[in-house]
Amino acid sequence: MKLLKDIKNLLIGMRITGKHLGRHAITIQYPEERWEMPERSRGIVVLLSDKETGDLNCTGCLLCMKACPSAAIFIDAPRDPETKKRKLLTFTVDNALCCFCGLCEEACNFSAIKMATMYEFSEPEKEGFLWDMKKLQEVGLDVDYIDTRKKKPAKKVPKPATDSGTATDKIVPDTLDSDAKQTPPAPEPDKPKEDGE
Amino acid sequence: MAELRTEEFTVNMGPHHPSTHGVCRLILTLSGEKVIKIVPVIGYLHRALEKICENRTYAQCIPVMDRFEYVTAMSCEYLFSNAAEKLAEIEVPERAEYLRVIMLELNRIASHLIFYGVTAMDIGALTPFLYGLREREGIIDLFEMTCGQRLTYNYIRIGGVSKDIPPQFEPKCRETIKTIREKLNDYEGLLNENPIWLVRNKGIGVLPADLGIAYGVSGPVLRASGVKYDIRKDDPYSIYDRFDFEIPTRENGDCYDRYLLRLDEIKQSLNIVEQALDALPEGDIKAKVSPNFKPPAGEVYARVENSRGELGVYIQSDGGKKPLRVKMRGGSFNQLQVLPEIGTDCLVADLVAIFASLDIILPEVDR
Repeated sequence: MKLLKDIKNLLIGMRITGKHLGRHAITIQYPEERWEMPERSRGIVVLLSDKETGDLNCTGCLLCMKACPSAAIFIDAPRDPETKKRKLLTFTVDNALCCFCGLCEEACNFSAIKMATMYEFSEPEKEGFLWDMKKLQEVGLDVDYIDTRKKKPAKKVPKPATDSGTATDKIVPDTLDSDAKQTPPAPEPDKPKEDGE
Repeated sequence: MAELRTEEFTVNMGPHHPSTHGVCRLILTLSGEKVIKIVPVIGYLHRALEKICENRTYAQCIPVMDRFEYVTAMSCEYLFSNAAEKLAEIEVPERAEYLRVIMLELNRIASHLIFYGVTAMDIGALTPFLYGLREREGIIDLFEMTCGQRLTYNYIRIGGVSKDIPPQFEPKCRETIKTIREKLNDYEGLLNENPIWLVRNKGIGVLPADLGIAYGVSGPVLRASGVKYDIRKDDPYSIYDRFDFEIPTRENGDCYDRYLLRLDEIKQSLNIVEQALDALPEGDIKAKVSPNFKPPAGEVYARVENSRGELGVYIQSDGGKKPLRVKMRGGSFNQLQVLPEIGTDCLVADLVAIFASLDIILPEVDR
């Protein structure tokens, strides 16, 4: 009796498997067929350029570098001693370090960095994972994005501080430049809130 | 004529044995086919996650938490966010809480589906593996659609969630729930009464309830031994007290019961997701949290019910940007400790079944 029951239960399992006999495969043949990535998919980091001028949107504010949990972003953007504006010199992303968390994209206030849906970037050498500014811009050229920057940042220059003692000290927390002490500069319009450390 | 005698034999199972789910090494002392001693050796996956967290800001800890227990990464993210919110007394918007519950429960289902497939494969049935992973794919697609990644989500944030669900999420989610409900019948038909499955699982690796409690075992493994203990009911976090769901339990505490219990839990989780989708309110998805999040000095312990038992985090804060001390508690660690107790005096093949039914994941053990 037990034997009959066992055979019956085995047949139930076989029937379930048998239901799939005539059905098409649900897998895809990867290099020939490709899965369409969702819009929000987080792949490789790219730098975005202005749609009209073609210049990089990045202002070198270092926010993404500070947000990165695995220190994969290296930016060199020293302040110009006269205009007090940062000038972007290098922007390097080490894709071997990147953990694809997307915090850099969220930290950016200028629609300058984005995780594109691209996911194929394997390299034979470790050095190949270091992508410089030019390559990041090149890859990001055909990436679609919504420009969330303020249209004319020049209009939003804050009023010069009337009582110039304490107020300016608050606005410019880290005056690294020596000549900044004599003439505290008005904060740049596009300078985001940085932490005071 | 020389006297015939037998000797005990010591053999390594792992670290790269396919049924150790990661890299766990078991030093087995065998007498013939019988296991007489088990010594687990852990640490092959140690990445010092707790220390890494101490060197990062609170927001940066969340991607690290994804790597703590990657099969149910959402609950790790929720856990850390919840602890930080408790510290800083942040009120989370209603919609965010609902979204979190949806994600947590979907992730629990995904984890149990992996269990279903992998356990069956360890025992020698390859078909359920393909079935389990196929249904899990539907859930993973939902996650990818919402947060952009399939495994390391970085979705739940301190004060809410990072993104709202896209409009096509809800219909797709309901469709996935329906599919999984249908396919659960297939799952049960394939294994529940299968004579080979019964012989391999029934009465194997019995864990008495008092032994489980003594070792701090929690989650499905303890509930399969008849202890009705679930943090979602006993110490409700988030908004779990608003949902109507059961805590399934089983009596025998053997491998077969642990398997059945997880299938029961999938059904309960499907119910919770459906209720949450029905009641999903409109509103904000994230409370205002400064990028330089600095909780006040103090300490906090938060815990959640993971698919592998109680998952806890202890955070000590000195009021700075980074946590002073982070200590994690994972359910797998206690379940691995109980393995030598319930695994001795069985056959090597049964040990594989027991190990699989405990559903241990090694990154959670080694941290």
